[in-house]
Amino acid sequence: MAWPRVAMNEARGRRGRQLFIAGLKCALRIAWKTRFGLMPGHRRRCTIAREVRLLCERLGPAFIKLGQLASVRPDVFAPETIFELEQLQDRVGAVSVGAIQTVLKQELGAEVDALLDDFEDEAVAAGSVAQVHRARLARAYRPVTGPELPAGTPVAIKVLRPGIKALIATDLAIARRWAGRLNRWRRLARWRPAALMEEFSAMLERELDLRNEGRTADRFARDFAADPYVIVPRVVWRHSTRRVLVSEFVEGWRLNELGQAERAGINARRLAAHGAEVFMRQILVLGYFHADLHPANLLVTPKGQLCFLDFGIVGRTSPTQREAIAQVLVGLVYGDADRALRYSRELGLVVPAEREQGVRRETEVLVRRHLLEPGRADVRGFALGFLSMLADQRITIPAGYGLLVKALVTVEGVSHAIYPDLDLIKSAKPFATGLIAAQLMQPDRLRRRLPEAGRRALEALLA
Amino acid sequence: MNQDFIKLLAAWALFHESADEGWKSAVARGQAQQPGSMGDGPEAFVQGLAALVDEEKEKLKTRLAGEGDSVEAAPGPDLSERLDTLAFELRELRGCVESLQASVDGLAARRDE
Repeated sequence: MAWPRVAMNEARGRRGRQLFIAGLKCALRIAWKTRFGLMPGHRRRCTIAREVRLLCERLGPAFIKLGQLASVRPDVFAPETIFELEQLQDRVGAVSVGAIQTVLKQELGAEVDALLDDFEDEAVAAGSVAQVHRARLARAYRPVTGPELPAGTPVAIKVLRPGIKALIATDLAIARRWAGRLNRWRRLARWRPAALMEEFSAMLERELDLRNEGRTADRFARDFAADPYVIVPRVVWRHSTRRVLVSEFVEGWRLNELGQAERAGINARRLAAHGAEVFMRQILVLGYFHADLHPANLLVTPKGQLCFLDFGIVGRTSPTQREAIAQVLVGLVYGDADRALRYSRELGLVVPAEREQGVRRETEVLVRRHLLEPGRADVRGFALGFLSMLADQRITIPAGYGLLVKALVTVEGVSHAIYPDLDLIKSAKPFATGLIAAQLMQPDRLRRRLPEAGRRALEALLA
Repeated sequence: MNQDFIKLLAAWALFHESADEGWKSAVARGQAQQPGSMGDGPEAFVQGLAALVDEEKEKLKTRLAGEGDSVEAAPGPDLSERLDTLAFELRELRGCVESLQASVDGLAARRDE
């Protein structure tokens, strides 16, 4: 019994040394390229971010996923790092079809041909954690949302790569050990590496159970059932387990494949504006959102609908956060920097009194330069400038706040991939206004505010 | 005095009539707007808002009329929403059971091999 443990420890030790050498080489490259840290701030951070991304790609699936999780935490990492980690490439060669069929047989208890028709040997997509094959339903199935899927419906079979769980567990154990050591360094302690690593590990382990992704997809499909422009592949639970997720196969173009010819057949402008609104509705109304939204995870169907894929990473917003985020959003889209900063406090952004004037002035400049420029707003430019300014002023960025800024950048990226000339700020105005109106009309809020409003009206009349 | 009071009421009625006509034309113009035109300026915004409010008013009228007919025949929106949520949760549970069954089948087949 002791032998496998010894072998496992040896394998872990070997992998640990491999990772250490790769990390050391990366550190040396960073030191050299940043002239031992003497390079000016923004350029230095960009260089470090690029090297960290390349390191994650070299180290494999666990680190690619950790990098992707880090890219949605602007409250912890520098803006240059999060925008660089967004571009992590998760494309690797496919595993042999035989290995995938073995996993399917182990998971479902029968040969894949006995359960599904026309299983295609060639993978339609291959990532570092899972790969996808196409087949057809052998029997009709009634999904959790929407009408029955008839026999013959094309389905996508997502299968975890064999051995991936063990590989990720080994890498996570090593990364946890490193994080524990980094925790002892006073300079790094403010990032709480060990706690952050625990949080990321829990998220990653959750992502390795594909049923979680299926449940989120069902919920999303239900919440957008009335929206004719949104489509979510429905899950076939009869053939889905921890390691296998079978869902409806939706034909369409990924946003990074969308060319002029494809755009010509759809109302791209309307779809881009609607896409932005759908994402804002997730964050500001529903309280959960697709946190891994990039052009490869969104399809545009020939009917001009948006199809959301891959719900592995989901972010959540609390009601208080949603209310404050809506107010900050209104402040930004109407160019009211003062309002945006005032409500930012409710999201936990603490600006020391002596720096308030400076922060307000710089925010106003950024808003004018990036958001109020007629014709083309540049949300990404604003976010980068704003987050860098806060970092330079040594102002801690709270989690909910970073989330808002990052979400706006994502919305802009997705909308521009559909319709490059869309002015996001102009399109967001009606939605933001409607949202604030809905917040103001809430009975609880009205009850709270009416006596005060009545008193003020009386004072004005008497005056 | 009596005549003045009648005049005051007439002015009040005229004010209401003009406001009503203004409101109706704002609603009509708002209904004729293209989606997304509310951001074109203050007037467009007010007209769009008037159309939204009018639509909500019509919904409220229909709901109140329905409530008056019979409580059993037309359940309130709250009840329908709860029923819808429960039905969805039930279907979610069915999905969980089906997935568990698939896992059990997989494990049983491995044991029998």
